[in-house]
Amino acid sequence: MIEFRAVTKRFPDGTTAVDKLSLTAESGRITVLVGPSGCGKTTSLRMINRMIDPTDGTIFIDDLDVRTTDPAVLRRGIGYVIQQAGLFPHRTVLDNVATVPLLIGWGRRKARARAAELLEVVGLPAAMGARYPAQLSGGQQQRVGVARALAADPPVLLMDEPFSAVDPVVREGLQDELLRLQSELGKTVVFVTHDIDEAIKLGDTVAVLREGGRLAQFAPPDQLLAEPADDFVSSFVGRDRGYRRLSFVGSDGLAIHPLRTVALGEPAPPLDEWALAVDGAGRPRGWLPPSSTVDGPLTEDALRPGGSLYTKGGSLRGALDAALSSPSGYGVAVDQAGALVGGVVAGEVLALLRSHRDDS
Amino acid sequence: MIFSELADWLTDPANWTGHGGLLHRVAEHLRYTVIAVLGAAVVAVPLGLAVGHSGRGGTVVVGLANAMRALPTLGVITLLSLQLGILRVGPVLLGLGILAVPPILAGSYAGVQSVDRAVVDAAAGVGMTSWQRLWRVEVPIAMPLLLGGLRGAVLQVVATGTVAAYVGLGGLGRPLLDGLRVTDYPRVAGAAVVVAVLAVLLDLVLAAVQRQIVPRGLRLASRTVSGVA
Amino acid sequence: MIHDLVKYLSNPRNQDAVVHLLLVHIRLALVPLLIGLLAALPIGWAAQRYRRVRALVLGASNVLYTVPSLALFVILPSIIGTRILDELNVVVALALYTAALLVRPVVDALDALPAHVLAAATAVGYRPVRRFLTVELPLAVPVLAAGVRVASVSNISLVSVGALIGVGGLGQLFTEGFQNAYNPPIVVGIALTLALALVVDLLLVAGRSLLTPWQGQRAGRRRLVGAA
Repeated sequence: MIEFRAVTKRFPDGTTAVDKLSLTAESGRITVLVGPSGCGKTTSLRMINRMIDPTDGTIFIDDLDVRTTDPAVLRRGIGYVIQQAGLFPHRTVLDNVATVPLLIGWGRRKARARAAELLEVVGLPAAMGARYPAQLSGGQQQRVGVARALAADPPVLLMDEPFSAVDPVVREGLQDELLRLQSELGKTVVFVTHDIDEAIKLGDTVAVLREGGRLAQFAPPDQLLAEPADDFVSSFVGRDRGYRRLSFVGSDGLAIHPLRTVALGEPAPPLDEWALAVDGAGRPRGWLPPSSTVDGPLTEDALRPGGSLYTKGGSLRGALDAALSSPSGYGVAVDQAGALVGGVVAGEVLALLRSHRDDS
Repeated sequence: MIFSELADWLTDPANWTGHGGLLHRVAEHLRYTVIAVLGAAVVAVPLGLAVGHSGRGGTVVVGLANAMRALPTLGVITLLSLQLGILRVGPVLLGLGILAVPPILAGSYAGVQSVDRAVVDAAAGVGMTSWQRLWRVEVPIAMPLLLGGLRGAVLQVVATGTVAAYVGLGGLGRPLLDGLRVTDYPRVAGAAVVVAVLAVLLDLVLAAVQRQIVPRGLRLASRTVSGVA
Repeated sequence: MIHDLVKYLSNPRNQDAVVHLLLVHIRLALVPLLIGLLAALPIGWAAQRYRRVRALVLGASNVLYTVPSLALFVILPSIIGTRILDELNVVVALALYTAALLVRPVVDALDALPAHVLAAATAVGYRPVRRFLTVELPLAVPVLAAGVRVASVSNISLVSVGALIGVGGLGQLFTEGFQNAYNPPIVVGIALTLALALVVDLLLVAGRSLLTPWQGQRAGRRRLVGAA
């Protein structure tokens, strides 16, 4: 558990970067610090591992004042991941990952073996260990950075905008990786970002900081979306927070209707309604518009592309989006394997929401 | 004077062997060079590393190096020789050492400064002490510029080492100046050619050493940067 | 020591001699600097543009720069037909040396120009030569200036070493002092050489600021003139 107690940081030029910050990052959870630039989020993070020391107030890790430990020793027990990865260019990937184990005195062979394990954990091929950072892509370098931070199995992981420098597709992959890792390892993670969507996706609890380093709200993400503390938070969170809140509402009780289907590769007679084309494994491939005439066996050329897919048991947001993006008005629901389960209707999603609100 | 006379002089083994022969003079010249550069390195490398690593005192060090560059070596050596006695090696080594300090100082300082700030941050963040950061991360990465500085220093000292002969000592300046005095131009030109070749050879050797010492990861890194442009 | 120095400097014949040597030194150091720079610009431009030229030019200038200038002073006469102590000989040798030294900064400076600025200039309608003179060169000034500063200190120093073989300039104060076992001319020579180097450096910095009015005063770390 990491506790900030009235922590303040004032720089010599007079700026107050952090102003009497008090919050507790729960053990085994991801706590996200988010806010516009100048809100002190990175400064706050860097005070945890004493890269910066506070002007006032104290930071405790598991009830121990961080100032009572030698900084270098403290940092060896904390994983630290930064935006540009900061990999040592003169060492191989494997030796980069093995840095902390070597520092705390493990033998070279043991450290390298551990490093190899970690490459696997972060989803990198073992052969990458012999390469140098300059030969890796941005996303790969970030993974190595995470591996290096985890090498000595520290209980705490600090991450300073680690995914901001990679492109959105890679970023999403890395975010999913982090969530997966966290479900396996259960570290106490403090994560800094300027992206509210990233904060909502990753955080168990989110701290919104405003310029001047003051805490505006500290709450779980769906509470942030439902009940922003003030105008600043509500505008920072964004205009479609109502829609985004749906990610946190479960879909129990949502009706799934049987859908008219046609099979790919079979002849398809013209119908008076939309039909969903499925392949041999039962996976949806697209919609066949009403009254289409198809010569011979049905192929994908004749189909209209479908909308997003809703995985049964997922959040209402997935269901609503599937329904809204479908050309036929039915959102396509699939199971974990991707096979068709049925259809959902936008109106029923909203009716379910209304009944939730009436209940609570 | 024509090239054939020069060629004859250079290919005459009598000019190479024996006391006062070219081989002897080359050995002396190398000796002055090595001592002067090593002496300068002993002073300049730690200073440059310390200032670059701590980030303080850079302005002073920069100013000092630039001022030293402007000191005329011949002037320094003649003055010191008059004070400390002619035919003594001290003034020459000191003068050549002063010449060697600025490029080595510049190279070490620039080398440490050239380390990416994110890498330095990461090195601190993983829990390295200041000393560990310097030796395990900053110095290896600083190697290219540091060695470049050493190469530059060697080049300058070899070139200027002819001065030693002026105050009565040995080195390749001997045949140069003696030849001038008796208007034996093939000897003068021959000495000049040998100095030039020596400089080029030393530079090639040091370039090869540099390639060996610089970690492979760094060469790849710089190639990536320049490739992207 | 001071007494001797004052005595030396108050003699009008010495004063004349010193001033004369200073002027010769300035001429021998700075004329090649200018010529070398003017030569390095087109060569560097060609090298930066055409890859094969680049390898050739950088290699050749590396070798030329490695050859000690004293050697150059001595060998050049056989090639261009001067005598060793002719001013022309010294000027040509140092000009070659300066050009070899400055080719690399020219290439580096042109390499560092942002591509989108050049593209904009071409899109506006500038032809290559005009673009080079009015857009590329001004932007290349800071890097070039650093190279020229190194070359200027280098040349000033080289001219004084040339006194060994009889080249004119402040170096002769050193030889004269040494031969007569007399300190004052050496001290005066060292002081003037330092002063000359300082003045030229300040002028170059001022010139750079003048040519780059868009660059404000740089606070913080001062650049080291020419690492290695």
